[in-house]
Amino acid sequence: MSYTLQFGQVTPYLGYLAGGAWLALQLAAIAFVLGWAIGLGCASTLHYGPRWARWPIRAYVVFFLNTPLLVQIFFLYFALPDWGILLGSFQAVVLGMSLNAGAYLTEIQRAGFNSIRQAEVEAAETLGFTRVQSIRYVVLPHILKVLFPPLSNQYIILTMTTSIAAIFGVEELTGRTYNINAQTFRSLEIFSIAALYYVVLTLIASAALYAVGRYFFRIKRSPF
Amino acid sequence: MAALIEEAGRFYSYYNLIYLGKAFLFTILLSFAGCGIGFVLGAGLAVMRHPRIVSFAPLRWFALLYVELFRRIPFLVLLMVVFFAFQLAGADVTMFTVAATTVALSASAFSAENVRAGLESIHPNQWDAAEAMNMGGLTALRRVVLPQSWRVIIPPSMTYSVGLVKATSIASQIGVLELTYAAKILNQKGFSAALCFGTILVLYFCLCYPLNLFATSLEKRLAPSRNR
Repeated sequence: MSYTLQFGQVTPYLGYLAGGAWLALQLAAIAFVLGWAIGLGCASTLHYGPRWARWPIRAYVVFFLNTPLLVQIFFLYFALPDWGILLGSFQAVVLGMSLNAGAYLTEIQRAGFNSIRQAEVEAAETLGFTRVQSIRYVVLPHILKVLFPPLSNQYIILTMTTSIAAIFGVEELTGRTYNINAQTFRSLEIFSIAALYYVVLTLIASAALYAVGRYFFRIKRSPF
Repeated sequence: MAALIEEAGRFYSYYNLIYLGKAFLFTILLSFAGCGIGFVLGAGLAVMRHPRIVSFAPLRWFALLYVELFRRIPFLVLLMVVFFAFQLAGADVTMFTVAATTVALSASAFSAENVRAGLESIHPNQWDAAEAMNMGGLTALRRVVLPQSWRVIIPPSMTYSVGLVKATSIASQIGVLELTYAAKILNQKGFSAALCFGTILVLYFCLCYPLNLFATSLEKRLAPSRNR
């Protein structure tokens, strides 16, 4: 069997692939925002909420952290119709990714809440800060600085996870790679190009998040 | 719901259970083989990247490039690349080998980062002291640095291997008989999706949750002392 790499046949599709990369970024952003909201809600309930509300949240987090995202989406996509809930492939993927990210982000943000020291808040009170002021000037800057690195890390991971959407027929970066593969049969070429797209995508995201962290939160840690 | 309970009797038949059990074993085998090979490769890469041990810079750049590349490729895409690369090489290998190679490649890049973090947790003075005792780079690594850094290396590696167990579900895409693939086959045989995927969700949970608990307890027990 002889196979020669011919990148020439796939170059016309590079623009089409870039469109997929844009969709992957959007997918990651949607899932991140939804997951972040879920995580913020769950983490603050764990920290400040009533005792009875804690164990359902713990169960949710532990379950979603210990099962694969792919199977979670399979369940949402194929099993929910039995109970009359029909999700489109894009909706199922977004819902699955958000719920999964929500569990991770709950854990991360819970650690953030735990890092607030009572002494800090009391000191702000002594200086005559109102509650809103103490959150705005004391708690938030501190908590953001602690949370920013793991949150940005999670965003990078989410960008890579979007490739799972291809399995459900969403035409993002990997999905479009499948399409091009079916048209040209230049499999290794197009999949290695897709891999490079992901590398570039996450490198750009890492660099951008590093710049943001350095400028706004004075985090000096290098992302590489 | 009643239909589901009625169906469960047929679903949990002897042969289906054997099938799921076999798939469960393959998931474990795939994760273990991949993690084991990946960890060894990753440790090698981390050592290769360390300026105190390797003075030849291009070798360090190669390790850096390898890690940054493979860390940033999604599992599914890497799986496809490995799959077609084996085809290109003309190697006639089983799908299990393809999947295990992918897991190992992915694991090596992430373990390299974990091991590097462990090596960097050791104060540079220790390297200097070892050098003053006339130890070479590798001897210092073996006798001075590794005995202190493994407690920083092990807990995140455990946590990461749980992630890999979950990632092996993607290997179902090329037809490796593991849990997710088994569930897909049973689903296509006509069993309801809720039962098939619900069952393997529970099985994955039974595999990952103890591992995660173990990782957490290790993290607490092995927490390095503050003075060094």
